[in-house]
Amino acid sequence: MKVVACYSNKGGVGKTATAVNLSYAAAASGLRVLLCDLDPQGASGFYFRVKPSKKLKDDTFFRDEDRFAGAIRGSDFDNLDILPANMSYRDFDIFLSRMKNSQSRLKKALKAVDGDYDLILLDCPPNISALSENVFKAADRIVVPVIPTTLSERTFEQLLEFFVDHDLDRGKLLAFFSMVQGRKTLHHETMEKMRGIYSELFLATVIPFSSEIEKMGLHRAPVAAYAGGRFAARAYSMLWAEVGARF
Amino acid sequence: MRRVGESFALSGRIRGKALGKDVGALRLELEPEAPPVAFALLDQFDCPLGKSHRALIEAEGKLILLAAQAGGREQPAARSGHFIADLQPGPVGEALSDLSPLRSLLALGQGRMVVRRATLLDEEEKTQARAWLRRLEPDGPGAVVTLVELQYLRGYDLAFDQLRRRLRGAAPHIELEALAESLFPGTPAYEAKPQVPLAPGEPAARAAAALIGAHIAVARQNEGGVIADIDTEFLHDYRVSLRKVRSVLSLFRGVYDAALTDELKRAFSDLMAPTGRLRDLDVYLLERDLYFDLLPATLHSGLSAMFDLFARERAAEQAKLARRFGEQAYADQIGRLQRVFAEPDALAKGPMADYPVLGYARKLIWARYHKVCKLAAEITDKTPDNEVHALRIGCKKLRYLMEFFAPLFPASQMAPLIKPLKRLQDGLGLFNDYAVQQQSLRALLATPGADLRDDAEAIARSVDALIAILHQRQLEQRARLTDSFAGFDNAELRARFAAQFHDGGETA
Ligand SMILES: Nc1ncnc2c1ncn2[C@@H]1O[C@H](COP(=O)(O)OP(=O)(O)OP(=O)(O)O)[C@@H](O)[C@H]1O
Ligand SMILES: [Mg+2]
Repeated sequence: MKVVACYSNKGGVGKTATAVNLSYAAAASGLRVLLCDLDPQGASGFYFRVKPSKKLKDDTFFRDEDRFAGAIRGSDFDNLDILPANMSYRDFDIFLSRMKNSQSRLKKALKAVDGDYDLILLDCPPNISALSENVFKAADRIVVPVIPTTLSERTFEQLLEFFVDHDLDRGKLLAFFSMVQGRKTLHHETMEKMRGIYSELFLATVIPFSSEIEKMGLHRAPVAAYAGGRFAARAYSMLWAEVGARF
Repeated sequence: MRRVGESFALSGRIRGKALGKDVGALRLELEPEAPPVAFALLDQFDCPLGKSHRALIEAEGKLILLAAQAGGREQPAARSGHFIADLQPGPVGEALSDLSPLRSLLALGQGRMVVRRATLLDEEEKTQARAWLRRLEPDGPGAVVTLVELQYLRGYDLAFDQLRRRLRGAAPHIELEALAESLFPGTPAYEAKPQVPLAPGEPAARAAAALIGAHIAVARQNEGGVIADIDTEFLHDYRVSLRKVRSVLSLFRGVYDAALTDELKRAFSDLMAPTGRLRDLDVYLLERDLYFDLLPATLHSGLSAMFDLFARERAAEQAKLARRFGEQAYADQIGRLQRVFAEPDALAKGPMADYPVLGYARKLIWARYHKVCKLAAEITDKTPDNEVHALRIGCKKLRYLMEFFAPLFPASQMAPLIKPLKRLQDGLGLFNDYAVQQQSLRALLATPGADLRDDAEAIARSVDALIAILHQRQLEQRARLTDSFAGFDNAELRARFAAQFHDGGETA
């Protein structure tokens, strides 16, 4: 079982869109996939029409294997299950601070469903916190969407610094450019610059800014389910192919 | 345990009205029917899929496998042949890996299939349970059946149960085991080892006739498959059935008049004789891959030449046998024997003819068991091969007797007796296979004209190398046999045999 996190310390960059569409692409390729929504806002669950979990609240996520497994719901798509979020995930950091081995609790929790899935995708909330440290430990690969703007450049640098300061494995990081607007010269310049500095950290696939992707909220489904032939859907399956090849 | 899907069959067509609309807070949506497509129901000749509550459908270029306890799987139907190994790698092929590699998949029948989907949705239009309804309309006089594949979506257990209840309530249920018979009635189920019911007090001669009649019938069910050359198991089963007939004649001593018994034995030998060479060739050809694995690549050209020879001879033998099975003379020959055993009371009786079969069975099994133990006890590392073969034959006779008479004894008590016997037989069988393979390879070299061929030398080199390897394997297997003897010839088993088959029992 492999764990892939969709993470960024910045909000609104396309983490959830990536988690939803990558998990769909991975499941379509035949893997048994669990998408685990760690964001109390529950956006991933929303896109799959799965209601927030009632029972998996407070620290049961980390303490109760049966409840963890029991909260999983099958999506409308083959091979793809969802672990919906709960509002109490807001307080994850408080629960974690009270627990022993507080950095590896997530990894341990995911073990509960080890045999059931080939791949677990984590949709993470946007901050650097006790939870994200758990994510960095549990994940084999961390997919980081980066909108090619000056501001994003800075947040990305901060993330790298955090990895260095905390002696974390930078090799897990797989960044890609997200919501890229072909007509914006700033986007092109930033991408060129960042690829120059962090070449080995960036994937080749670029996810464009696309109205098809924006419509996910309307359709409440992965892009490929309602616009399968379109470029946006193909971009995500290419992204998955590239991430999958990095194992 | 994680739940999986479920499959079942319902009689007739499922109409929307029978399903209803809402299920509690969930909405039941029945999608429109897809246009009809052609389908075929597949299984092997002895129906292992049906017997294990599975159904394999081919339609629209796909193989769809439904299992009563596990929902459905799909994969492309395109395949290089009809054996399990010929399927493309995929979930269906994987789930069929328990089937015999020697048997071909057959179409048990064809017809039209109409597919539609039933879904249970919540107020957010999330699917909570889903079922594929595949209505099968067979060509011919069979009944319409709807196959239901219920998909389980993790965590939605209640919805799954509700949809299942709705569907099950919509029409009478049909076991997947009975699916073939419902769709395509009249094709008799094939059973290679028929259980012939015997009453304890029945005269032994009648029991013998019933067993013989049943096994001739089994042999005859295989004729079509031999003629069409579907797979090699047809001929194998044909021969095993007739060999069992001969065993009844020789093992059931004294039930028929001695001269009649001899005459009948000869008649059955005559029936089998024309099938021997084809079976030998089948066996060689089935071992092709094994032989190639055994020899280094440098000797493969010789092997290829040899197997080309076999293949050519086999084609000729098969055509000859197919012709024979189609001839009136053959139908008369086997038909006459069938009629003889259909009227058992007209057969000239032997001294044991009227002996009640239960007592007769116990006598025969007990005596045969003793004989086998005696043979087994004498075997050491130095015993000549032919005595090991005698033991193998003895075991086979004992096994046949126990199977013929099984209906007279409680199954729970027969199973622990048959298990160690089977283990011993497997070990002896392997030993015998190595010996027979060496023999047949030698025979090949001795074939008249074999040394005149261009590739004679290459063949001879490969064969010599093979014989050496097989000989080594035979020796190794011989050493292993001692363990299986110990599992068979011991006080505990002896006591069990005695309790079942010897008057008053015997304490060890
Ligand atoms: N490639 C894209 N093109 C156009 N719109 C996009 C694209 N990716 C995401 N969006 C839209 O941008 C918004 C933010 O995306 P998303 O929710 O995936 O980001 P996020 O990083 O998960 O946000 P948060 O930090 O709030 O969890 C959403 O409305 C989404 O539909
Ligand atoms: Mg998000």
